[in-house]
Amino acid sequence: MSARMARLGPVGRSVALVVASILLVSAVLTLSGFSVLTVANGMWQGAVSAPGAWQMSFRWGAPLFLVAIGVAIALRAGFFNIGGLGQFYVGATAALFVGLGLPGLPAIVVLPLACLAAMAAGALFAFIPGWLRVRYGTDEVITTLMSNFIGTLWLQYVTAVLLKDPSGTGQQTATRPVEEAYRIANVQGVSPVTVGILVAAAILVWLLLERTPFGITSAIAGRNPVMARWQGLRLERVGLLAFLLSGALAGLAGAIEVFGPQGRLVSGFSPQLGFTAVLVAIVGGLNVGGIVLAAAFFGGLQAALLYLPIVTPLPPSALDLLRGTIALLITVTSLSALGRALGRRRARSD
Amino acid sequence: MTTEAIPSAAAVPPVGAAAALAVHGLTVRFGDLAAVEDVGIAFAPGRIHAVVGQNGAGKTTFARAVMGLVRPAAGSVELAGRTLPPGDVVAARAAGIDMVHQSFALPPTFTVAEALELFVPAPGPVYRRSTMEARWERVLRDAGIEASPRARIRDLPIETLQALEIVRALAGRPSLLILDEPTAVLPPPAIERLFARLAAIRATGVTILIVLHKVREVLELADTVSVLRHGRLVLPPTPASELTPARLGHLIVGSDATAAAAAVAEADAIEEAVAGAPHHAADAVPVLRVSGASTAAAAAEAPLRDVSLEIRPGEIVGIAAVEGNGQRALVRAVVGLDTLSAGRLEIDGADVTRAETLERRRRGLRAIPFDRNSEGVSATSSLWENVTIGELLRPAPGRRFVTPGRLRARATEALDAWNVRYGSVDQRAGELSGGNIQRLIFSRELGADARLVVAAQPTRGLDLAATAFVRETLRDLRDRDAGILLVSSDLDELFECSDRIVVLLGGAVAAEFRSPFSLAAVGAAMVGATEPGR
Repeated sequence: MSARMARLGPVGRSVALVVASILLVSAVLTLSGFSVLTVANGMWQGAVSAPGAWQMSFRWGAPLFLVAIGVAIALRAGFFNIGGLGQFYVGATAALFVGLGLPGLPAIVVLPLACLAAMAAGALFAFIPGWLRVRYGTDEVITTLMSNFIGTLWLQYVTAVLLKDPSGTGQQTATRPVEEAYRIANVQGVSPVTVGILVAAAILVWLLLERTPFGITSAIAGRNPVMARWQGLRLERVGLLAFLLSGALAGLAGAIEVFGPQGRLVSGFSPQLGFTAVLVAIVGGLNVGGIVLAAAFFGGLQAALLYLPIVTPLPPSALDLLRGTIALLITVTSLSALGRALGRRRARSD
Repeated sequence: MTTEAIPSAAAVPPVGAAAALAVHGLTVRFGDLAAVEDVGIAFAPGRIHAVVGQNGAGKTTFARAVMGLVRPAAGSVELAGRTLPPGDVVAARAAGIDMVHQSFALPPTFTVAEALELFVPAPGPVYRRSTMEARWERVLRDAGIEASPRARIRDLPIETLQALEIVRALAGRPSLLILDEPTAVLPPPAIERLFARLAAIRATGVTILIVLHKVREVLELADTVSVLRHGRLVLPPTPASELTPARLGHLIVGSDATAAAAAVAEADAIEEAVAGAPHHAADAVPVLRVSGASTAAAAAEAPLRDVSLEIRPGEIVGIAAVEGNGQRALVRAVVGLDTLSAGRLEIDGADVTRAETLERRRRGLRAIPFDRNSEGVSATSSLWENVTIGELLRPAPGRRFVTPGRLRARATEALDAWNVRYGSVDQRAGELSGGNIQRLIFSRELGADARLVVAAQPTRGLDLAATAFVRETLRDLRDRDAGILLVSSDLDELFECSDRIVVLLGGAVAAEFRSPFSLAAVGAAMVGATEPGR
C-alpha cells in the first residue's frame, strides 16, 4: 500500500482493503499452523475451478447481491438498514405461503405472485423501522437490528408449526417442499430465470440510483439532510421509500432462495446473510457495479469455505475472521485515520 | 544584503533569525487549480500581520498550509528558523502554531470546561471535575470571558465560542496564532472586543497572523498588511500606516474598475441610504403576506409572536434584530422548515400555511440560508449535485430520467455565469472557499424564476467585490418585481438595500421604518428603547 488511500479512489480503496485483510488473515493462519498455500489453493478450487464451484459461488452471491443493493439504496439516503436478514426471512416465508397455498396453478402465475408477495412482505417489514425513524427519530440501527430477531423467530414458527414438514426428522426443522414444477433452479442455484431476475434487478436499481431525481437527490440528502430540507426535499418520503425498496429487494432474495436452491425453508438458514450484505454494499462502494464484484467475492468465499474441509481441516470461523478483518479495516479507513497515518508515514520517509 | 531587493510577488524577502514565520515558494494545488502559487513571505515576531484578499484569493488556503492542514505541492514553512514537515498539523502544533478556524469545532453537548479539557488535558492520571472546572474558571476569568465552565457549548453565543476557541488555541502556548476571518461571524461591538483581545495577546509576545477582507478592519487592527490576489502575493508585509483604504482596495481587487470602485466606496464607509421612490406598486397582491404568525418555542431563540408583515412585488424588506430575537424563526417559518402554531402565510395570494417547502419553492420561493456550509450546500457532494438539486426536486412533467452529463453541463453554465472559481464540477463543494460556496448558492437560488427570495446574511464573510455584487443582484431581482426578505446583522447593508425595515424584538414586530432610515431610531427599536410605531 504505497499510494495514499485518498488517491486510490473508491474502487482501489476497497481492493486494497480486501488484499490487506487477506494478508492479515494469512498471517494468522500461518501462525495457527495452516499452510496458506494449501488454503489458498483449496479456496480457489472451491470458489472457481472445482466442478460446480462457480455455480456455488453464484448460488451464495445472488442473495447477497440483492440484499446488498437494498442496503445501498438505504445507506445512500443516509439510513442504516441492517435488518436485511429479517426482511429476507419474512420475504422467503411469504413466497412459500404463495407457493404452497395455490396448488395446481401454473408456475407462470404462481412465481410472479410469490415474488410480489415476498417483496411486499419484505418492504412491509422494513417499513416499520423506517416509519419509526422518519416519524419519531428512532435509531434505525437499533430497530432494524432487533427486527432480525423477530424475523428469525417468525421463520422458526413457520418451519416448526405453520408449514412444518411432518416427515422431517433432522435437527433443524423444515417446511414442506414446494412443487418441483415451481422450482426456478436446482440446488446449484444457477438458471436462466435466476440470472434474468438478478440482471433485471441490477439494471433497474442502477437506473434508479444513477438516472432518476430520486437516486441523485437521496444521495445528497444522505450526506446533508439539513441542506436537502432547505431545498424542499421530503426527507420522510425519501427515507420511507428507501426503506421500502431495501426491504423489497431483501424479500425478493428470499423468494429466489425458496424456489431456487432451497426448494423449501429450513429454520435459521444463511444466518450471516444480513451482515455480510452490509459489508458487500460498503466494499462495493454503494454502487451497483461495485456490489456485483463484491457479492461475487463474498459469494465465492462462502462457496470455498464449504468446500475447504475436503482439502484442509480449516474451521468455518476462518471466514468470520476474514469478514471481520475487512469490516474492521473499512471502518478504520472510512474514519480516514489509517489513511492519514499512512500518508504521514510516507511524508516522513521522503 | 549585497544585492538590492526588488519588491516582487515571488521574491523571497530577506529572512534572518528575526522572522517569526517565513514561507518559501509555497504552492498549493487542488486538482488543476493553484489556490496558492509560489508565495514567499516573512513575518516579524510579536506583531499582528493581516493577510487580505478577495474570496478565492487563497488567504484561507495559505493559512491552512502554514498550519499543516493542507499539504503544499511545493515550498516550505519555517517557524523561528526551523523548517516544519509539510502538511503535518501535529508537528506544526508541537512547534508552536495554533489556529482559530472560521467555523468552530467545539462539541456542542460538552460543557465549557469539558471542551477545553478535551483539547488541553491536565497532566496526571486522576481527574476531578471540581478541580478541572476551577482551573478553567481561572483561565476564563483571566481572559475576560463571561461564561461559566459548567455552561453547555450549544447554549453559548457565537462571540463567546470564538473567545473560547482563542483560549483553547492559546492554552498550548503557541508562538504564532492564526485566525481565519474571525470577524465574519461577529456583530460590530463584538469585533471591537475581539480586536482589544488580540492586542492584549500581542502584548504577551505572541505573533498573530490574521486573515481578513474588510479594509476598514485591516487598517484598524493590523501592524502589517500583505495582499494575495489569485493565489499570488501582490503586496509583501507593509506597515499599515503606509497604506490608505483606497490603495489597499485597488491592490485587493486588481484591475477590475467597478469592483475597485465598490471597494473604495466600502472602505470610505459611505453610510448613505438609497433614498428614492419606492420601486413597488402599493396595491399589488403581496408576494409574501405573513399574518399573526406564531411558532412553538425553540431552544436557542425567541419564537415568533403574532408577527404580521407584507412584501410587495419589487420590494426589499429588511429584518433588523439583535441575534436571537426571532429572525431565524421567521426565515424557517417562511421557508417551511417549521410550521406555524398560529397565523397564516401567503405567497402571491395563495395560502401556503400548511404547504411543504417543495410546494413553496414551486411557487417561486428561493432561500439563501444562514449557514452556507451546513444549510446551503452538501459539502461532501459534488458541485453539479449541489447546483442542480433544485431542478431535480422540481422536475419538468414527464421527465422521469435524468442524464448526469446534461446536469453537469447545466452546472458548469450556472457556475461560470456567477464567476465561481472551481476546478471541476465533480469536485466536492466543501473544497471551495467560503465566498465561492456563497456564489454557488446564488447561482442555484437567484435564477430568473425567483419570485420570493429569503436572503439570510447573504454577504456574511464575503469580500468587498462579492458584497457589492450580491447587493446589486438583489436590487436587480427587485427591479424584476420579485419580493425580497433580507435578514442581516449588518445595518449598513439593510439601510442600503431595503425599501422598508421591520424590527423584531423578542420574536414580535417592534417597529417598522421606511427609507430614509435613521440609525438612531432603528438601533433604539432593536434594543427595545422605543414604543412600537410606524
